[in-house]
Amino acid sequence: MFHSKKAAAGSTTAMNSLHHNHHQHHERSNMCGVGANNHNTAGAGTIQGDSGLVLTTDPKPRLRWTVELHERFVDAVAQLGGPDKATPKTIMRVMGVKGLTLYHLKSHLQKFRLGKQPHKEFNDHSIKDSERASALELQRNSTASSSGMMGRSMNEMQIEVQRRLHEQLEVQRHLQLRIEAQGKYMQTILEKACQTLAGDQSMATAAGYNNGNKVVGGMGMNMNMSMSMNISASSSSTSHLDQAAAGHRGGVMLLPGDHVPSAIKDFGSLNFPSFQDLNLYGTSQSPSPPAVAAAGTAAARKSPLVWSDDELHLQDDHHRQTEHHHIGVLSSNSSEAGDGCDLDSTIPSHIYETKPLTLASSHNIDHHHHHHLGLGSVDHQKKMDRTSPRRPPLSSNSSMDNMRATLSTATNNSTSNMSPQGRSSSFS
Amino acid sequence: MAMAVNELPELDLSDFTSSTTTTPDLDDDQSRRWGDWSPVVDWDSFSVHPQENFHDLLEPEMDEDTDKTASYSDDDPDLISPMMIEPVVDCHTDDIKGLRLVHLLMAAAEAMTSDNKGHDLAAVILVRLKDMVSTHEGTNMERLAAYFTQALHTLLESNGGGGGGGGGGGGGGGLHYKQQHHHRDDILAAFQLLQDMSPYVKFGHFTANQAIIEAVTHERRVHIIDYDIMEGIQWASLMQALISRKDGPPPPHLRITALSLPGSGRRSISTVQETGRRLVAFAASIGQPFSFHQCKLDPNETFKPTSLKLVRGEAIVINCMLHLPHFSYRSHTSVASFLSGSKTLNPKLVTLVEEEGPRVDGGFVGRFMDTLHNYSAVYDSLEAGFPMQGKSRALVERVFLGPRILGSLARVYREEGECGSWADWLLAAGYHQGNISFANHCQAKLLLGLFNDGYRVEESGCNKLVLGWKTRRLLSASIWTATQSD
Repeated sequence: MFHSKKAAAGSTTAMNSLHHNHHQHHERSNMCGVGANNHNTAGAGTIQGDSGLVLTTDPKPRLRWTVELHERFVDAVAQLGGPDKATPKTIMRVMGVKGLTLYHLKSHLQKFRLGKQPHKEFNDHSIKDSERASALELQRNSTASSSGMMGRSMNEMQIEVQRRLHEQLEVQRHLQLRIEAQGKYMQTILEKACQTLAGDQSMATAAGYNNGNKVVGGMGMNMNMSMSMNISASSSSTSHLDQAAAGHRGGVMLLPGDHVPSAIKDFGSLNFPSFQDLNLYGTSQSPSPPAVAAAGTAAARKSPLVWSDDELHLQDDHHRQTEHHHIGVLSSNSSEAGDGCDLDSTIPSHIYETKPLTLASSHNIDHHHHHHLGLGSVDHQKKMDRTSPRRPPLSSNSSMDNMRATLSTATNNSTSNMSPQGRSSSFS
Repeated sequence: MAMAVNELPELDLSDFTSSTTTTPDLDDDQSRRWGDWSPVVDWDSFSVHPQENFHDLLEPEMDEDTDKTASYSDDDPDLISPMMIEPVVDCHTDDIKGLRLVHLLMAAAEAMTSDNKGHDLAAVILVRLKDMVSTHEGTNMERLAAYFTQALHTLLESNGGGGGGGGGGGGGGGLHYKQQHHHRDDILAAFQLLQDMSPYVKFGHFTANQAIIEAVTHERRVHIIDYDIMEGIQWASLMQALISRKDGPPPPHLRITALSLPGSGRRSISTVQETGRRLVAFAASIGQPFSFHQCKLDPNETFKPTSLKLVRGEAIVINCMLHLPHFSYRSHTSVASFLSGSKTLNPKLVTLVEEEGPRVDGGFVGRFMDTLHNYSAVYDSLEAGFPMQGKSRALVERVFLGPRILGSLARVYREEGECGSWADWLLAAGYHQGNISFANHCQAKLLLGLFNDGYRVEESGCNKLVLGWKTRRLLSASIWTATQSD
């Protein structure tokens, strides 16, 4: 029954293709019905139910979205603050129409939302979709305006569509290049910052510092070449920054190189995966230095890790875990980033060996973020061994799981769920 | 709507009883959405409380939530006051709590507009609020309320201390609270995070750059006068775009003159000289002919066009980024003098990026609420894209947004009659509106596509693109040209 309707409703196939048809029963025919409800019910009798709903007299009665019903719907949606905020349940409550089910409202709301946002189709990165969408939009516009489009032939419209698409592709290409340029520039800022800190390291006191420092200094020089290494640098990164900020103790910068690489890491991972997702320029490597390209691929793979890391490096409570995490990351790092960064596997481990010492000396700092470094080195070691009963991270339950997973497997396969939510939804 | 102080506790209690008796069944969408939020509550700290009879209700939820809840137990007694039970972590109670916070804030704002007694009342309300929220933990609404509370408190103090806050120089500059001096690396990290988590910065930069590129296609020399260059990242992509114009003329010689405003070093990532050096190096690395100049302004920040070095035959572009999230507020006179001075230079293009400010009418309370809604939208937008990265967002909030909130409220409070957007000002000053091209609009849409779905860009008039979150307009980028006559 439904197949015949679908075949007959030629003009609705386009609309159907834009929607998710997840219901296999009468809701779907509702969607067909709304667009071209005259198709199958033209001339057929309609029943005005007691509830005020108009149902068709088909063997399976479908709801007809009359103008009044739709107006009530729009009113209800407006009351609730727009199609984004309204949900079928609340709409149902507000409308107060008997016989209206959630299913009706769900599908109608979905169509309403899509109908309100034709511009979203421009965000598709697949050419075919954009083409279809643009053609559709032009068609929609043409049917809306009576005389404007009538005079133009289909050919002209197609040419217009093609031109727009071409322009859109150009814009996309340029956008990527521009974002990359900004990324390069950010790198220069971070390099400078790192070098400044490399200079500060001469002020560091403990012997342990110097050990790490030399290494970090070397790292600083090679910052360009090893963005993948940044992920390892984690540490208390910003948390130590905070300490320094609060206490203004320039000497105790601990592992100063850390926070900068982590910052680079942030940028590196966060920018590039988006373009990885674009899939349009998979192989195009802009004229940027190899570091950026390496970062692009390496960081993209590591982006989920980076996110959990991002969480971590701002969570000072879990130094133990961050250390382990980073050691785990390191091993995966060296396995993946085999692009001539010799420093990767060696340098970071030095840093982490010295870590307990550095943390130990900083335990008396008072600061904003409730850093609990109040442990001597011995305690710290103990803490490393014992599982912490204390507060789990604020909002990163899954990042904790990821960390544990990383600890055990030393791979980053498990972190797929950490990809930024916004991006995954944009590109689904 | 002034609430007597002694009514407050009762108000809270009654809210609780009503909320605990409802067992809302959530729609699928809702439960998915709210489940992503970090639950705030610590069940342990509610031991001293008359509501033991609710524990039965809480049992089923507790198991699943204990893992997720941050145990603030002993360390943050200020966060959890005995009043704040949220028995079921769901949208209802979060909404109710958020609503309560908003009401309190509104009451405080209203109290502040009246006389001294009102100020006392406001102070009490603010103390109460401070107990309820913290800038480090909690939902968006709670953290936001905490910053607003802090801001109101600072306003109140500076007011009570005789002599208004700040005067002319740089918006929130006159009003400091403890954390004003951020470590430079904090600023850097926060800036990166801001850039990566939200499109605000890129939107402003790219829209302006695209307009500039289109305007100077046939020019051999381009001179850009930048009001507030900050770290200079905008020009990186402009240079790249100039280099890669595949057809047509070789890249024009680019000159940038950056204004050096007093007091801008406080919260910026680098000084103007450093930025200049960096830009020079960057330009060299990509092969763009470039030179950099600096124009120091006097402490009174009046812009004197004659102090610029101009070359014949160059196209002048005025770039005025005002309210990107990591910028601090500039005084009205400073911006006005810049824009009016620029007009005498007959610039080819003026790019302006400013926030959609609170509406002009409505008094302090109305504009306060507007500001609250705006920043609430910003917080929401950050959270929607990155719900798990609470600490990162907290850093951005602490370094940038918090001080901005203070600056915003200070301006709103002082009510200097300078309300209204700079776009309107430009129009009144005789500038003509430019045209946002299809490519520019398209670029903006594509850019937003890289971020969360909730961002919207719309054209407003022929020369303005407005970036918003859901239905809230936040940032607008507009282009103008000077009149050719005169």
